[in-house]
Amino acid sequence: MIYDIRHVTTYSYETQVSFARCSLRLEPLSDGGQTLISHNVEIRPKPAERATRRDFFGTLTQSILIETAHRTLRIDSRARVSLDRHPPARDAVSPSWESVRDVAVEATSLGPTSPVGYVFASSLVPVLRPVTAYAAASFPPGGGIIAGAADLMRRIRTEFKYDPKATVISTPLKEVFEKRHGVCQDFAHVMIAGLRGLGLPAAYVSGYLRTIPPPGQPRLQGADATHAWVSVWCGAELGWIGFDPTNDLVVANDHIILAVGRDFSDVSPVDGVIVGARKQKLAVAVDVLLVE
Amino acid sequence: MTEQGGQSSNQESRARPGQRRMAQWMRDYARLPGSPDEYIGQDGAPRPVWTRFFDAFAALSPADIERRFASADRHLREAGVTYRAPGDTSDRIWPLSHLPLIIDAADWRQLSAGIAQRAQLFEMVLADLYGEGKLVANGAIPAAAIAGSNEYLRALSGVRPPGGRHLHLYAADIGRGPDGRWWVLSDRTQAPSGAGYALENRLVLSRAFSNLYKSMNVERVAPFFEAFRDSLRASADRDEPRIGLLTPGSFNETYFEHATLARYLGFLLVEGDDLAVSGDRVHIRTVAGLKRLDVLLRRVDSNMLDPLELDASSYLGVPGLVDVLRKSGVVVANMPGSGVMEARALLGFLPNLCRRLLSEDLMMPHIATWWCGQKSAREQVLSRLDEFAIEGAYGRGVPGFPGNAPVLPGELSAADRDRLKDAIANRGIDYVGQELVRLSTTPTWENGRITPRPFVLRVFAAATPNGWTILPGGFCRIAEQADARAVSMGDGASSADVWIVSDKAVATSTLLPAVDTVRIRRIAGVLPSRAADNLFWLGRYLERAEATMRLIRALGTPQRDPTRGNSTGSTPALHSAERIQRMLVAWGATSQTARANPQKVALEALQSEEKFGSALSLVRSAQRTATGLRERLSPDAWQVITEMADRLAVEVHDDDGVVSAAELTLQELASFAGLAQENMNRAAGWRFLEMGRRAERAINTTRFTRQFAYDEAGDEDLDALLTLVDCQITYRSRYLLQPLLAPVRDLAILDPYNPRSVAFQVAALNEHIAALPSLKEHGLIERPQRLAVALEAMLTTAEAATLDVKKLFALEQDLLNLADAIGLHYFPHGPNASRPEKLTGLA
Repeated sequence: MIYDIRHVTTYSYETQVSFARCSLRLEPLSDGGQTLISHNVEIRPKPAERATRRDFFGTLTQSILIETAHRTLRIDSRARVSLDRHPPARDAVSPSWESVRDVAVEATSLGPTSPVGYVFASSLVPVLRPVTAYAAASFPPGGGIIAGAADLMRRIRTEFKYDPKATVISTPLKEVFEKRHGVCQDFAHVMIAGLRGLGLPAAYVSGYLRTIPPPGQPRLQGADATHAWVSVWCGAELGWIGFDPTNDLVVANDHIILAVGRDFSDVSPVDGVIVGARKQKLAVAVDVLLVE
Repeated sequence: MTEQGGQSSNQESRARPGQRRMAQWMRDYARLPGSPDEYIGQDGAPRPVWTRFFDAFAALSPADIERRFASADRHLREAGVTYRAPGDTSDRIWPLSHLPLIIDAADWRQLSAGIAQRAQLFEMVLADLYGEGKLVANGAIPAAAIAGSNEYLRALSGVRPPGGRHLHLYAADIGRGPDGRWWVLSDRTQAPSGAGYALENRLVLSRAFSNLYKSMNVERVAPFFEAFRDSLRASADRDEPRIGLLTPGSFNETYFEHATLARYLGFLLVEGDDLAVSGDRVHIRTVAGLKRLDVLLRRVDSNMLDPLELDASSYLGVPGLVDVLRKSGVVVANMPGSGVMEARALLGFLPNLCRRLLSEDLMMPHIATWWCGQKSAREQVLSRLDEFAIEGAYGRGVPGFPGNAPVLPGELSAADRDRLKDAIANRGIDYVGQELVRLSTTPTWENGRITPRPFVLRVFAAATPNGWTILPGGFCRIAEQADARAVSMGDGASSADVWIVSDKAVATSTLLPAVDTVRIRRIAGVLPSRAADNLFWLGRYLERAEATMRLIRALGTPQRDPTRGNSTGSTPALHSAERIQRMLVAWGATSQTARANPQKVALEALQSEEKFGSALSLVRSAQRTATGLRERLSPDAWQVITEMADRLAVEVHDDDGVVSAAELTLQELASFAGLAQENMNRAAGWRFLEMGRRAERAINTTRFTRQFAYDEAGDEDLDALLTLVDCQITYRSRYLLQPLLAPVRDLAILDPYNPRSVAFQVAALNEHIAALPSLKEHGLIERPQRLAVALEAMLTTAEAATLDVKKLFALEQDLLNLADAIGLHYFPHGPNASRPEKLTGLA
């Protein structure tokens, strides 16, 4: 499957901004099941400096510096991606979660795909006892890792309310968990916290969903903005598998991966500091169209 | 043993009170059960270095001892040696234990070798962790023991440290165990604190007991700091490098230390806002534009250093710093990410790593530690849980338990103990078990006797081109309670100087300087914009305080001049008083409602805690501003401000009290001005202090003149003005008349020879502005100068007769604009300007 993606980020400021230094993580990655065909980012006003490099997690990061005074910053990203993923079924046979837990900490690599980087608390995902206890209900002794993760994802989908007004970017995980509401980002963080509480490696994935569902299927939640889900390490053989708790889906060919990290703070698509704005307004528009 | 023999024969020859005191102290010195002690060795005999010390110490009379202790305390207070415990909103005076910790030179040599080896080992491990990664790949270090640390910075993986090393300064907290050996309790590889306090303690104690200090042949600490400074200089890639000490700011608990070290080492004290990334370099914002910074000694934690790549919520860092490190554009000491070596999870692997990397055995033992991320260790800890202290495997505090202290399972409730057991069983990777060790005690002075107290000693090592050099001494914290491991400066602990003493004859002592002399050097040749901003505002606050004081004094002093009649026949005294009150209200020194009662107004304007414009509030603002300038102010100047704030806070009750408080404060303000005038280096900093003062005085004088020399002003008003602007004597000597409008206006505004006139202030401002560096290269006159020159021309050519209230008002506006223009021009990034903010929202 080939998708065309358009992702436009617009910041509007109340007063003139004289200086901006930003990091952009907007290039979809290429891995086993996803291939980047083309990518282009247009920035207005034009940056004085623009440099690209891959960050620790393998994401192409653009650093830009804008010194032109401006009231609007517009970042227009277009990409073409082909997907060919074959995830296991949610009831597929998989190693017991305890064995995954024990093997994960034996890892002898600190690299970006090593499970050991994803079993600890991170800046936006604390390990909390109630969240761990919540997750534990999906992992009976000896249970398979895929079955457990799928069950946890299903429970979050059914027991948490999707409510874009309920949370902001800074709402702590504890509050999201206690009030049982939030958006994709919050659900991903809750699921990650539960898995890590049990010692299981779980990563945060940012990306896109196809905007128009296949005929006869409902439109997915979160399709008109950037989306977030969870990647779970399921043992050395199966590796990393995506679980989308917002839609209760094992990630297949409707999800396009932008970046992977420990939590949102590692992957935030547009991040930066500015000087001058009193108030800022953000608009994000995402379109993901199936080409073939 | 000769030592003992010598002692007994001495006893005969001098049956002195000192001997009796010494004997009494010995008898009273009750060692804590089960703890080894520094003074009394394992064999029950006093250690020779301590005997030497106490012999000399006991020779001093009790009164002399107390006098010297008091002088040490006074010095600490006066120098403003302070710290803040977490949660404090103001500084505390540093509690100094009056007896030094004394360590024998032979003992110290061994210890130093162990510390140097450890530093070297850490450097090699760090180079591998952020470089090739062999140690993790081949299993010498479990990846999980690194990955769990918040200080393992993925953003710096693969980045070679500019300057060639990760660690420039290393510290270890150590204590002496029951076996008589020194044990490492914890390592400090991030940004060790305490060296500055060690320096201050040494200065104080060596001064209070100079003869004793001299006679003991104590190793000096200055060469260590010089070596450290020289090595940092050498790490830069140009000849005369500019070095900054990065502080989180004056609210940090150890800010005093940052200021002390910056001053002592000759580094610029900078905050994140003072720095900017441009090109591939870090720069300081100065009054002369951006200046390249070569080395940054940081006291800001790694994760706070760059909001773009590390903790996005940090305001303490420099956006883009990590990228500059990648391009090798700045040396940061210690390299961000070096804090990963502080993880307790790593302790158990150090002996093997030492053999592997250095081909030698680890010399210094550390507290036996079991990382529960490994199955066998976890099972051991769980099976004998109560025999361990449980600590977090990486940072401070035990996950799931409040506070930063270790958890002693034996002291937990049954429920908490089960919770801990579960947590270790499920996520053992987060925990270590540590052996409980009783560490040694050291003598402290309490109520005229010596008492043993537990202590922790922090020792420091600096990297030099010739290997690691150890600070002979250190930062010793002494606990009130029996478990010294919980010692932080927060809970009733004090600190002690540390003397490394040779047990050989003291013949060489004459070759040593009596005390560690501070090497005088100039603050590096640039003035950061923030410092300039603070100096400017310090000048303005103090001048505004002075003007407020004059108003208050005038309000409290009835017109008592009998030689001057009441020519207008009205009740102008009341009239003037009302005008004064109105000004105090306008300045936020008092509230409208108090207008009726002059005494109440004066009291409120003098010492209201709530009113931002009260004299007390203004002096406190000045004090706060001065806190950010500690490395630039003389201790005397700092002391004047502190005393002024303290005294103003003491309540007064009547007119006499108000007037005398006002007079005293005016004297103190004058003495600060005198200190600045006579003692402050004429580098750019002094000019900004002066400009603040001049600008504020010009504004206030214009306002006074507008209020009291208005177009229909009577002589009582004019008389009040002459008092407010301190021109009574000049006027009388010149005119021998009752005050008249035009001459008074001329004196207050136009007279270039009157040091209190507006014209005089503007001329001074012009002179300062002209002497400051020009920022732009296009050769045009800059805005502050344009405004000041125009004002000076206007004031030079104006005539008193035409200076009406309208013109005075316009002049006041022009002066305000000039003050703003100075701010915008020289410190656009100061605290009053907009600071960088984060892009927000879920982009």
